[in-house]
Amino acid sequence: MKSIKILLISAVLLSGISCKKEADQKINENPVAENPASNQRIITLNGGITEIVVALGYEKEIAGTDVTSTFPGSLKSTAKDLGHVRSMTIEPVMALNPTLILASNKDINPDLLEKIKSSGIKTELFQQEFSVAGTKKLIEEIAKSLGNNDYQKLFDKIDGDIKQIQPIAKKPKVLFIYARGNMLMVAGKNTPMTNMIEIAGGENAANDFEDFKPLTPEAVVSANPDVLLFFTTGLEGSGGTDGVLKMPGISQTNAGKNKKIISMDGGLLSSFGPRVGEAALSLNQLLLESSK
Amino acid sequence: MKSKKLNFYIIIGIIILLISMFLALNIGVYDFGNSSAFQVLWKFISGDSALSLSEKYIIRDVRASRIVLSVLVGSMLAVSGTSLQGMFKNPLATGDLIGLTSGATLLAAIAIVLGHTFQEFLPEWIRISLVSISAFIGALLAMILVYRISTSGGQTNVVMMLLAGVAITAIGFAVTGLLIYISKDDQLRDLTFWNLGSLAGATWTKNGILFLVLLISYFILLPKGKALNAMMLGEKDAQHIGIDVEKLKKQIIILTALMVGSCVAFSGTIGFVGLIIPYILRQIFRSDYHFILPLSAISGSILLLIADTISRTIVAPSELPIGILTGLMGAPVFIAILLKFKNNLR
Repeated sequence: MKSIKILLISAVLLSGISCKKEADQKINENPVAENPASNQRIITLNGGITEIVVALGYEKEIAGTDVTSTFPGSLKSTAKDLGHVRSMTIEPVMALNPTLILASNKDINPDLLEKIKSSGIKTELFQQEFSVAGTKKLIEEIAKSLGNNDYQKLFDKIDGDIKQIQPIAKKPKVLFIYARGNMLMVAGKNTPMTNMIEIAGGENAANDFEDFKPLTPEAVVSANPDVLLFFTTGLEGSGGTDGVLKMPGISQTNAGKNKKIISMDGGLLSSFGPRVGEAALSLNQLLLESSK
Repeated sequence: MKSKKLNFYIIIGIIILLISMFLALNIGVYDFGNSSAFQVLWKFISGDSALSLSEKYIIRDVRASRIVLSVLVGSMLAVSGTSLQGMFKNPLATGDLIGLTSGATLLAAIAIVLGHTFQEFLPEWIRISLVSISAFIGALLAMILVYRISTSGGQTNVVMMLLAGVAITAIGFAVTGLLIYISKDDQLRDLTFWNLGSLAGATWTKNGILFLVLLISYFILLPKGKALNAMMLGEKDAQHIGIDVEKLKKQIIILTALMVGSCVAFSGTIGFVGLIIPYILRQIFRSDYHFILPLSAISGSILLLIADTISRTIVAPSELPIGILTGLMGAPVFIAILLKFKNNLR
């Protein structure tokens, strides 16, 4: 009985001690914060939104981002990575003392959204359309929320890149595969990746369903893609081209037989931010290569 | 004499609980700068206008509400576990192992999917109540099913009880998974929430509803400690002593379903609390429900509060799902009970 009491009391004291550890940790983490040009502290909870905010010139004012905001790399040292919006909670967000929160309404945890809305911090929620026009609209909306009208040069860059896209004589059927560990998902209609494929001059090999579905050998063989597209991290994680050829059904497809397996950086391919033109151009060049 | 001892333990328990609550209030990722959380809390209570909106929000709507939620949920999960164990006369009978939480999860998920269409038209408290009512019905149906399958003539076949729980959990998991797969609805949460629980969605409305459930259930159940002791002698003998066994069983069935259902609706599946607490208390007080039942109410709160505080500090700024922590604590307890069974079988 006595030992149980001691156990309970020490458990309580332990939580008190961990509180102190928290305070110590905070002192060590702060040196990277700089004084921003203005007093704005922005939190961007989406890869594309982050890129747009940086492209508009506000990189120094970004205090925190989500885990998908991988570009530009310099953000790693100035902004705090808050994790994935699906599992984020409100306290770490508010601990950064934000003046503005910019988020996309896709995927965000409803509890988090509710707490953000009731926290009183200025929040703008954006609906992201995965197309060139949609990206331009998003740039305009974000610029407006930042009180800035200087976004024409972003449009010019996008248009400039898109103009350079060469049509491909025989439209290749491209299949995007999301590979993460043992989980293999295939992109159907209306996903950012398949939209990008179409802009770059290809067509989606798996167009009879929407969103993402797990990869099945029968579906892959009947889709018979000419080219397989992966995220760079996904391709590496699957063991490169050799690993992909071992995946069920792949070796029966045109892509597998001709070893036409390409990859692009995940953020570049799917964030539909200011680099959307650059992404489409890169993909176009990769597809042209593959059709030789 | 016995009552005096009980009161003594209850008072100690409450003091420990209050201390834990205050300490937990001070813990968290948000930095209040120069003032401690207590000073902020004091400013909030005294209506100091110097209190910034963010600080007020964090103290009141984030930390305090979350602490209160963990106290309420922990308490009810522990009491439901203890009562079920009294009724089934078996230390393995808990809400999660016999399928109550799965049944509740299933109906709550259905309610959320259906309710999403009406979401904009209903005020928050009605929407939330509908979900908790469905969860209650789900838990009740699971409870009745398990009881029918496993109990006859007052004797509980433990194996049947656990297997019925496994079956219900399997059905619940499959259908809930299907709902989440089909519904592209972002409003139907992550499978993680349903399977591992989370106290991050705490609001004072939810706390209010849970408190109401707690008051109703405890008013009826907590004084039944002595009756549960009598039930241990066997239902016929208990009846002869004067305990209305049927009524007691009905009360336990309905009230545990109510408690488990509401907890699941607001915080997802948090397992093992109903297993750990009675087990620990039994080491101290033997199987005296007169002591265990009220004390489980307090100990459950302390346990879940500590677990929740750890879950939001150990991998800060991220959070470890609380089901993982209770699972880590509960699995050894489960094994210890099984080993004791094994020894008794020889």
